[in-house]
Amino acid sequence: MIGTYLPMFLMIAVAIILALLFFTGATFLGGKLDKTPEKMKPFECGSESSGGNHLKLSVKFYLTAILFVVFDIEAVFIYPWAVQFKNLGWIGLASMFGFLAVVVVALVYVVKKGALEWEN
Amino acid sequence: MALAFILSPLLVIGAGALLLMLAEAFGPKHNRTAGLALGCTIVFGAGFAFSVGAWLYGVEDVAEKELIVPWLVIDRFSIFFDGLLCLGGAIAALLAGGYLREHEMERGEFYSLLLFSTVGAMMVASAGDALIVFLGLETMSLGAYALTAFRRTSPRSAEGALKYFLLGSFAAALLLYGFALLYGATGHTDLAGIGEAVRAGGPHKTMIIVALVLVLTGLVFKVSAVPFHMWAPDAYEGAPTPATTYMAAVVKAGAFAMLLRVMLTCFTEKGLMSWSAGWPPVLAWIAVLTMTVANLVAGQQESVKRMLAYSSIAHAGYLLVGVVAAARSMPEATSSVLFYLLTYTVSTAGAFGALILCGRKGAEAVTYEDLAGIGRRHPAAALAFSLFLVSLAGIPPTAGFFGKWFVFRAAMDSGFYLLTIIAFVNSVIGAYYYLRVLVFMYMREPAAGAPVATPMKSGYVAAALILSAVLVLILGIVPSQSLDVAIKAASIFGPPGG
Amino acid sequence: MKPFLDLFSQNDFSLIAVVLLMPLLGAFVNGVFGRRLGKQAVRMMALSAVGVSFAAAIATFIALDSAVDAAHTAHGEAAHTKLSWLAWEWMRVSGPNGSKIAIDLKFSVDALSGVMMLVVTGVGFLIHVYASEYMREDKGYWRFFCYLNLFIFSMLVLILGDSLPVLFVGWEGVGLCSYLLIGFWYGKLPNAAAGKKAFIANRVGDFGLIVAMFLLVVYCGALDWDGIQRHANDLVVTSDRPGPIHLWPIGGGKFEDYVIAGIRIPLHNLQPDKPWTITAATAVGLMLFLGATGKSAQIPLYVWLPDAMAGPTPVSALIHAATMVTAGIYLVCRLSFVFVLSPAAMIVVAFTGAATALLAATIAVVQNDIKKVLAYSTVSQLGFMVLGVGVGAFTAGFFHVFTHAFFKACLFLGAGSVIHAMHARIHDEERSQDMRNMGGLRRYMPLTYGTFLASTLCIIGFPGTSGFFSKDEILARVLIETPTGVKLANGAAPWQWPSWAPWLLWGMGVVAATLTAFYMMRLVFQTFWGDFRGWTIGRPSQLSKSHHDDHGHAEDEDAEDGDHHHHDDLSQPGPPPHESPRSMTIPLLILAAAAIVAGIFNPAAIKLVVSTFSFLPLEHWLDPVFSDAARGITLADHHTAHTRELVSTFGAFTAFAAGSGLAYWVYVKEKGKPAREMMLKVPRLYKLALEKWRVDEAYDKTVVSGVDALADTAASVDQGIIDFVLARLTALVVAATGTVLRVIQNGVVHVYAAVMVVGVLALGWFFVQPHADFTVVEQDGDYTLQAGPGPGYEFRWYPDATKEPQTKDFSETDNLKVHIADGKSQTVKLEVKNAFGRVGSKAFTITRPAQPAGAAQIREQ
Repeated sequence: MIGTYLPMFLMIAVAIILALLFFTGATFLGGKLDKTPEKMKPFECGSESSGGNHLKLSVKFYLTAILFVVFDIEAVFIYPWAVQFKNLGWIGLASMFGFLAVVVVALVYVVKKGALEWEN
Repeated sequence: MALAFILSPLLVIGAGALLLMLAEAFGPKHNRTAGLALGCTIVFGAGFAFSVGAWLYGVEDVAEKELIVPWLVIDRFSIFFDGLLCLGGAIAALLAGGYLREHEMERGEFYSLLLFSTVGAMMVASAGDALIVFLGLETMSLGAYALTAFRRTSPRSAEGALKYFLLGSFAAALLLYGFALLYGATGHTDLAGIGEAVRAGGPHKTMIIVALVLVLTGLVFKVSAVPFHMWAPDAYEGAPTPATTYMAAVVKAGAFAMLLRVMLTCFTEKGLMSWSAGWPPVLAWIAVLTMTVANLVAGQQESVKRMLAYSSIAHAGYLLVGVVAAARSMPEATSSVLFYLLTYTVSTAGAFGALILCGRKGAEAVTYEDLAGIGRRHPAAALAFSLFLVSLAGIPPTAGFFGKWFVFRAAMDSGFYLLTIIAFVNSVIGAYYYLRVLVFMYMREPAAGAPVATPMKSGYVAAALILSAVLVLILGIVPSQSLDVAIKAASIFGPPGG
Repeated sequence: MKPFLDLFSQNDFSLIAVVLLMPLLGAFVNGVFGRRLGKQAVRMMALSAVGVSFAAAIATFIALDSAVDAAHTAHGEAAHTKLSWLAWEWMRVSGPNGSKIAIDLKFSVDALSGVMMLVVTGVGFLIHVYASEYMREDKGYWRFFCYLNLFIFSMLVLILGDSLPVLFVGWEGVGLCSYLLIGFWYGKLPNAAAGKKAFIANRVGDFGLIVAMFLLVVYCGALDWDGIQRHANDLVVTSDRPGPIHLWPIGGGKFEDYVIAGIRIPLHNLQPDKPWTITAATAVGLMLFLGATGKSAQIPLYVWLPDAMAGPTPVSALIHAATMVTAGIYLVCRLSFVFVLSPAAMIVVAFTGAATALLAATIAVVQNDIKKVLAYSTVSQLGFMVLGVGVGAFTAGFFHVFTHAFFKACLFLGAGSVIHAMHARIHDEERSQDMRNMGGLRRYMPLTYGTFLASTLCIIGFPGTSGFFSKDEILARVLIETPTGVKLANGAAPWQWPSWAPWLLWGMGVVAATLTAFYMMRLVFQTFWGDFRGWTIGRPSQLSKSHHDDHGHAEDEDAEDGDHHHHDDLSQPGPPPHESPRSMTIPLLILAAAAIVAGIFNPAAIKLVVSTFSFLPLEHWLDPVFSDAARGITLADHHTAHTRELVSTFGAFTAFAAGSGLAYWVYVKEKGKPAREMMLKVPRLYKLALEKWRVDEAYDKTVVSGVDALADTAASVDQGIIDFVLARLTALVVAATGTVLRVIQNGVVHVYAAVMVVGVLALGWFFVQPHADFTVVEQDGDYTLQAGPGPGYEFRWYPDATKEPQTKDFSETDNLKVHIADGKSQTVKLEVKNAFGRVGSKAFTITRPAQPAGAAQIREQ
């Protein structure tokens, strides 16, 4: 049983060792941290930063992001289907069309509701 | 074709949900929600009609149904639940049509969510595979979470939804973990296969027991049994009332379908069904706790809506008594549970509907005080409310009486005398807080200066109430036909241990 | 009539539905829409409803007649024939020995109910016509006709019902309508009180009817007429179960001495040598008759009927004279085959009837209110009918029901007409009905007088009128017929009547008949003969001061209406009384004509003169109905019968002649002087009779106050124990627990999750914990122990807990057999190991008692 999971345990061990290595390395190799106000500012490509460091993002950002995730994951289902396309036959084809129809309806709904419109 | 026909309730509701979504998206800009409530009701009505059709057509002779086994098992049991869930959904949709407009929170998503959630509940009721159980459960629950949070401006609504979501996810995780362990122990994900393997015995007894604990927890969480009930009052109170109706009626019925199906298919091994060391005594304890705690706390509430939430928990307790009896004498007791669900659905949906009817924009009827004297000012509303409360209390000639009668009788016939007595005492305690509403409606006058509830005017709500009231009376006066249907639906479970 | 029978089959004669449902429709329309319809439409609806019902009843009767003929031809003799209609199957109840008794909503018409149906719809229709005029001025016109139609419907249900439960529905329905109509003018307190009194007296009777139904279910296992008839003999069979009814000790118990704290209470003295029993037939008969006394106003429940005259006069005519009050007699006739099985019950019936006839007649003699006289006369006549059925002369009793319906309805309507006329002069309920204010009315109201006189001649038995034939028949039958019961091979010999009973009954009947003739003629003479005394009433000098004050104020207000002004102008004589309008007099004429000629249906007395006379249609018609009852009745032999009939007819005629002659002498010849003299001579007796022998007061003192005391006790128990201890205390406990539990529900989601975790842990703990449990079954010292199963459980048994286990290892063996000798005990132990390897154990000590057949006593350690 140990043999089966050995690669996984190895990977975990390597990850822990590496992380520790980087942290300790950075502590020893880097200089003492100089907490000047300038250094504590968020870095914005050299220009003056505006606003605090707790940046508020528009809810539309999350909406778009989550819609991306949803459709992305649904699209992934097509890959295993494509691999088994021949074996599944006509029933498989019909099922996939049904599935896609649902996804398309959802997409149409999203578009019509204006969830993807950034303005207004 | 026959397969499509017996699947039609599920397909109709699913297709209806998609169409309703599109209808809203393409609807006129100025009044997007026009007709959606009606459309939603019609979809539910069609689902109910197709369920009746499928019931009359009969599923026993349809050979094609083996094609979708074990994922979906279409039998009398699942078709009974298809009809029941559509009925509850229809009443909730009608109530939403009146309530959401009156309180100016009508948005099209509500109806689509109702339908999608019902699809999930129907999947649960006909699921033959642990994965489908989980899929259906999540579909049902996600809809319910969103419905709970539907009052966007109300912090209570958001709070209730969050609690429901967090605890619900916790329970769902436990359930999934339980299924995973069962798969590990038996190598099956289909319920029948799991049951077969569990009965056959094997080296993984401890694993199965741990799985049983986890699955049982997940299942009784959904039926909101004590001590897994804590989310229910907050969620029920926070949600808009039609959503509460939906949760109390449809989600609960779906959860009971799941409980019956999983427990009576998977865990029927002799030792697991044992009255000394199996799951029936555990469920009996849960039933006793549920009834007692819910009834005691319900009596202390000032809010009628919260009282009804606790009442719905208490009814889960009575139903669990039936489930315990089902473990000993399967089809007979199961049929009583199914009949109880039917009577409970119409009674509780009616009671919430009457509560909706008694309120108006800006002056929603919530507390007992709000209802003071309404019997004199608005006799029709008060009469409807009284009818449903009397039915919930289980007083003849209403549906609730026969619901309780059959469950208690099944418990007596199975030999659970003490349990029946406890249930009976509890139903007496329950009568106290139901009748208290009547006292306020008919025998109190509102305090001077207190806001006076004026019933809203809505054809939708009126239709829902008339539908429920007629059913309450029909089931209360001539219960035999409906009981025959329930008996036939329950007959798919064989005798215990087999 | 062939087409009719072809249209409706005999077993599905749905024309009955028309007869039944038309009045119901009328009641519904008038009750729901009546207020908005207006009087004309209400009248139209009510009259057409009853009219169509009457027409359908005639058609049904004709069809019945042809069906009877057909049956006669088919069987060669008259057979009991009925037309029936099953509305729906009502319910099924469990009967004795696990049988099922179907209680159907089924209606049927046979010879008996057919005649009743015609009387109810026919007389009912005439009274509807009359009432449509009489009630013209009333505000509650629609309400009145709604009730009246509902009454007709209920009465038809009562008559046509094919089983006791259906009859009971109608029985209660007519009771309800009677209550509503007595209290029709509910604004007045006495009316409301009279309504209540009627209702309560009837409820006492209903109790008897219900008990009778219970007994019939137990003994006969049937409640429909045919079923009861088939199993009637079971009521007298002497078998162990259910056997005769034990009166003492109640329910067949046994008294044994009771020892408490060393003191012996000698209860065995209460135990008779032989238990006192009555046959079920007697019990059923008496209980049915208790129901009949309620509805038909017999002793002891007659007190409601005179008060019931507070209702409108058409109601008195229809309900409290012609139809409803005969329901009790109908019930006895209907179940005649049950009654004849018990001569003991029959003698109670007969004597109750005779006593009622006599008592009511003595009261009627001294009453002054015209409706009161008629009310007591009704009670008295009902007594005659009950006397008739009590001696087994069911046809004669029923014939009197039939004739009485006509002449009593006519009398009441005539009285109504008189009151109507008087009321126009005197706006006072009480005085407008007082005979002392009337007199000489025959000049002003010739039609009313003529019809009233005709009916009076009937009721007093003027030879040739219907009343003569029917009453004479009853008196003759009292002497000829004696119920002797039925001696069955497996039943006890029935108790027999003493030989003096018929003669005593006959004597009471003749005295009552004499009194009837006297008070009825007194009524006629006082009302219609002599001079009108109403001229003077209402004048200030004639009024007592206080009386005037009571009414003066109200009448002054009335007077401002203008129209009524002249009635109350006390100094003027006022207009003379006037004849009533046509729609009131036409029913009177029809009823009076019917009353005179109704005797044609059963003129048995003619046989005395013409011995070959055999035109007795009613008797032949009803013969099949009572043929089964005839086996319990013994007739005197032909010769004796003839002699006794002659004696009886002579007696009846003498009664009529003496009574009316005396009345003529007292009230016409001597202008009432002898009556006044009598009044002064025996003032106490007079007062007692005027106050109705103070029966009401006696009831008040005994029954009513007893019930009151009981109610007070119950109320204090309710308030003290139920309310305080049970309700308050329990509520307190519940509230306290609820408050504690509510604290946990604090809204913090972490707590919720924590509670869930505790729940999961508790579940887990239950399954990890081993639960050793077993049941013990004993048979002849062999004890079988069966362990309760559990998931993955293994067992190890210790047949003796102190010794080694049966097997060393845990095994799947889940039962153990041990044998224990008499009087020994042994401790048995079970150990279980569950799937988690945990071990639990349980031990029992089994003790076998020394007695050979003793049960095992198990004590848990």
